[in-house]
Amino acid sequence: MFSQSHPEHYVPIFLFLLVAVGFGAVSLTVGKLIRPKNPYKDKNAPYECGVPPINDARERFSVRYYVIAMLFLVFDVEVVFLYPWAVDFDRLGLFGLVEMMIFIFILLVGYVYAWKKEALEWD
Amino acid sequence: MQMALFAYFGGAVVLSALFVVYFRNPIYSAMSLLAMFMHIAGLYVILEAEFLAGVQLLVYAGAILVLYLFVVMLLNVQSRGRFLQRQTPLVAVIGIFAAVDVIALLLHTRFYPELPAIPHPGVPTLGNSETIGMVLYTQYLFPFEIASLVLLIALVGAIVLAKGKLKYR
Amino acid sequence: MVPLSWYVALSSFLFLIGLVGVLIRRNIVIVLLCIEIMLNAVNINFVAFSKYQHVIDAQIFVFFVITVAAAEVAIGLGIIIAIFRLRETINIDEFNILKL
Repeated sequence: MFSQSHPEHYVPIFLFLLVAVGFGAVSLTVGKLIRPKNPYKDKNAPYECGVPPINDARERFSVRYYVIAMLFLVFDVEVVFLYPWAVDFDRLGLFGLVEMMIFIFILLVGYVYAWKKEALEWD
Repeated sequence: MQMALFAYFGGAVVLSALFVVYFRNPIYSAMSLLAMFMHIAGLYVILEAEFLAGVQLLVYAGAILVLYLFVVMLLNVQSRGRFLQRQTPLVAVIGIFAAVDVIALLLHTRFYPELPAIPHPGVPTLGNSETIGMVLYTQYLFPFEIASLVLLIALVGAIVLAKGKLKYR
Repeated sequence: MVPLSWYVALSSFLFLIGLVGVLIRRNIVIVLLCIEIMLNAVNINFVAFSKYQHVIDAQIFVFFVITVAAAEVAIGLGIIIAIFRLRETINIDEFNILKL
């Protein structure tokens, strides 16, 4: 488990990061260099379907976003627990299946609770 | 090589953590916290905990930070008055004292300058996620089931707090 | 090779920054963010010791810490929203009465 590290395995990730950052930086700088620059007040105003903006963009979000994000967080952690189990599924066998079923059942209770409390509904 | 990586990731982690405390705007603080989470994932990679690096990005950067950002936008109040507490000078003095203490400790101790030898070199080894899975689902079976209860309580409690009709007098 | 004491020092610095942030900031959301910094400092310590001592158990502890952090965030932000509906403030020194 604690074998010697292989730094060369991270070369593709490094290249990927380089390309991602480089693409953004290059396209922004090239665009800044070659585009015509003529700002005025109406052009700088935020676009709101052609209608003049009525108030500040920083408005309060609804509490429903919090509920959805919280449900996502809880089930995200549940899925993260599934990954090592899936990798070791053959070695753990039926025992692993049963314990994971118990785990999922406990969280299913929470899912049913959220459903009954209409936390999944948008309005 | 490893020293340079540690210096980069560690320095970036400390710097972005300082920015979290420093910025007035909570959105900026949350964004520097995102940078801190990503560099901590880099630290996990050079410590050969690849699975935890992935979990760090998935759970912390992907879910917890999104929740923070939603709540910051939900409680969008213009901060009025001062943004520091009254006890700030005292805390700053104690904090600088403790930081000097940590630096002194760092200068005087140097344990494990080399990685110790692997205990059983002949045994064929599993990957990081496979080892974590084998230990987690056999030896740490009970804490694992309790973790699901913790998540269930968090789910129910958060729904009650956010959607419930709490009676305020 | 990086000595283990450097990781311990890095994690103590991070914990210190989080602690100072909890003590000096008024915005309660920032206070929760600083608690996240402290949890991550502990996690760095766990993972560093896991590598230098050749024990995998520390990484499993980090896994549980991340789970508890997720639960803490969900509940803590729920409490903040509930208090905000009641008091219309997010400054932590104005939450000085425990009753509603």
